[in-house]
Amino acid sequence: MQLDSLLLQQTSLSGSSQSPRSPSTQPFLSVSVTDPAKLGNGVQSYISYRVITRTNLPEYQGPEKIVIRRYSDFIWLHDRLFEKYKGIFIPPLPEKNAVEKFRFSAEFIEMRRQALDIFVNRIALHPQLQQSEDLKTFLQVDEETMERARSQETGIFKKKPADFMQIFKDVQSKVSDAVLGKEKPVEESNPEYEKLKNYIFELEEDLAEAQKHAFRLVKRHKELGQSLSDFGKAIKLLGACEGNSLGKAFSELGSKSEMLSIKLQKEAHNLLMKFAEPLKDYVRAVQSIKATMAERATAFKHQYELAETIKLKEINLDKLMLIRSDKVGEAEIEYRELKVEGEEATKKYEMIVQLMNEEIVRFQEQKTWDVGVAFHELAKGQAQLANEIADAWRSLLPKLEACSSAQT
Amino acid sequence: MATITTRSLSGSSQSPRSPSAQPFLGITVTDPVKLGNGVQAYISYRVITKTNFPEYQGPEKIVIRRYSDFVWLRDRLFEKYKGIFIPPLPEKSAVEKFRFSSEFIEMRRQALDIFLNRIASHPELRQSEDLRTFLQVDEETMERARSQETGIFKKKPADLMQIFKDVQSKVSDVVLGKEKPLEESSPEYEKLKHYTFELEDHLAEAQKHAFRLVKRHRELGQSLADFGKAIKLLGACEGNSLGKAFSELGSKSETLSIKLQKEAHHLLMKFEEPLKDYVRAVQSIKATMAERANAFKHQCELAETIKLKEINLDKLMLTRSDKVGEAEIEYRELKAEGEEATRRFETIVRLMSEEIVRFQEQKTLDIGIAFHELAKGQAQMANEIADAWRSLIPKLEACSART
Repeated sequence: MQLDSLLLQQTSLSGSSQSPRSPSTQPFLSVSVTDPAKLGNGVQSYISYRVITRTNLPEYQGPEKIVIRRYSDFIWLHDRLFEKYKGIFIPPLPEKNAVEKFRFSAEFIEMRRQALDIFVNRIALHPQLQQSEDLKTFLQVDEETMERARSQETGIFKKKPADFMQIFKDVQSKVSDAVLGKEKPVEESNPEYEKLKNYIFELEEDLAEAQKHAFRLVKRHKELGQSLSDFGKAIKLLGACEGNSLGKAFSELGSKSEMLSIKLQKEAHNLLMKFAEPLKDYVRAVQSIKATMAERATAFKHQYELAETIKLKEINLDKLMLIRSDKVGEAEIEYRELKVEGEEATKKYEMIVQLMNEEIVRFQEQKTWDVGVAFHELAKGQAQLANEIADAWRSLLPKLEACSSAQT
Repeated sequence: MATITTRSLSGSSQSPRSPSAQPFLGITVTDPVKLGNGVQAYISYRVITKTNFPEYQGPEKIVIRRYSDFVWLRDRLFEKYKGIFIPPLPEKSAVEKFRFSSEFIEMRRQALDIFLNRIASHPELRQSEDLRTFLQVDEETMERARSQETGIFKKKPADLMQIFKDVQSKVSDVVLGKEKPLEESSPEYEKLKHYTFELEDHLAEAQKHAFRLVKRHRELGQSLADFGKAIKLLGACEGNSLGKAFSELGSKSETLSIKLQKEAHHLLMKFEEPLKDYVRAVQSIKATMAERANAFKHQCELAETIKLKEINLDKLMLTRSDKVGEAEIEYRELKAEGEEATRRFETIVRLMSEEIVRFQEQKTLDIGIAFHELAKGQAQMANEIADAWRSLIPKLEACSART
């Protein structure tokens, strides 16, 4: 299970690691997202989940707490963490929209549940994020309080999609801005960071492509399975109007095909949950990194613009002092306030840079592990399916040989 | 192959031990070649005949034939050998863009080869003059023979459809208010007719799904190839062990894609085509049933006419008419015709009984082989796929081991 590996492999950077030998003394925080239930009617219907928190942390109403949450509550938590922990790669959420008819299919609900479970647990295992007040709120307050918190958040913290797009554009291309004749945007000129940015953008594209084909592979498995099932039925019907050994051969072949169809559907589901979804999760994680890069660019720009403004103010202040203007006092106060702001902005920016460096290391390690697990699942599942298919067909051969020995 | 195991009902069987003493007739259809241009383009085949029959020119003869020549042969045999299930031909039309695909050409070549060899192994059909013509004359003579046949022997599709309808349903005729058609009332033959019609329906359905199975194999194969490429691209921007893992996975997927395409082709040629061939064979039986119904109807109608003529003749004899002589001649001629028609019908019935036995035997064997090919091919492919994935696992384990 991917989740188990996550729990086992994550080491808290603040020092305490999960030790299976003395669970009660080690601080732990583990969350389960389970029991999806459809509530409401018609267009307003939605899925609610049970979120079970098991912890020995003193800040929590331990040892176990169960609350009911819906998707928009998870979004609230994600957005609050994104605002407050700039520089940290906030674990990604599964997509918001889904084709209407698909929205309540058992498969979709299970995929979403799994992704939400992974989301919350990643936060719980992150040394900084796990200390978040918003996390505590999310895991403990009752539904009405949660709903109130959710509705308060519109406007202040919610970034409009348009803002994000603009930030991405700034991060991505100096070239197009130059072509469009815009002012050259302010950007860091750190070659290593530049390399990282290029890597992230290329990775996102390649991953999206691979993920698309992984999902198509799932679809093809389903289609082949369906085809085998239809074929099996048709062969059995055929056998029903034949007699003795030939009819028996048809019947065996038909049953075998139907049985293999079931195996293929099972593997299709396994492929989806254990391979295609993890790949998609990887895509989302990379998009989260891009969002953090955008925050970093914003912080850099802000810090840079303030520095420019401070320089101008300094020049202006010197001018005023020279002509002994009575506006000097005012200007001096403004200047000092700006300098404080400037230091604040620089601190914020440098914090983001430092956090990002740690996050990159964490990300690389985790990713290597997760991808390895996903590939392993793929190879194992496929090998097992193929072996079962080979055995099924082989078991049929002697029976067919018995039937096809020419009748005298 | 069908030729080796079919036993000739006239007594001589193919014995592999003394090939030169036993009469044999072996035919190969090979080397499809595209000739002509544009809309008039067509495929020609080399037909190689190896035989020791005295009626044939020498141990080997090679001629060039096209699809319409095969159609000519089939039509002539159908006209002359009523009661015998004429081996079926592959379909005439094909979607234009598919018509010259190498797969379609190979499927057609295989079907034409089987067609000729079935004729060659049939005790009656192998003695046909038309077969000799087909296997021996040069292309110009063949073309001349082909163009002469339109009109006299070619049944219009409408006629065939009408005959099928007669054979199939008394009910609808009653509903349509037509005269109750003349039909044999043999319960055993009735059973055979029902079996044949039901078999055709079920076979067509099974064949359709077999074809779809081929298509799904191809699609899965294509999907694996696309996936493999995408994974390799992904690996190209990663480093060291992870990049290697991606690269191995990508290559393996591409290998498996090729295996799936191979199996798709194997399924098509060794399973779906034989099933399709089976469908055509059953349609050929239906055509023979239509001929039998025709012959029966003809014979019945003549019998009715003869009865009327007999009554009329007696009347004329009673009245000592001078038309008696004429009427007597007419009556005798009709009686001769009637006996001829009865003989023809009875020949068809007798031949069909033998043909049914041949058909059941051959079919059981062919289906057994096709199923065997299916199971064998699928098992083999599955084993290769399992091995390929298993060989990947230790390499992936090496990559995902934590430092």
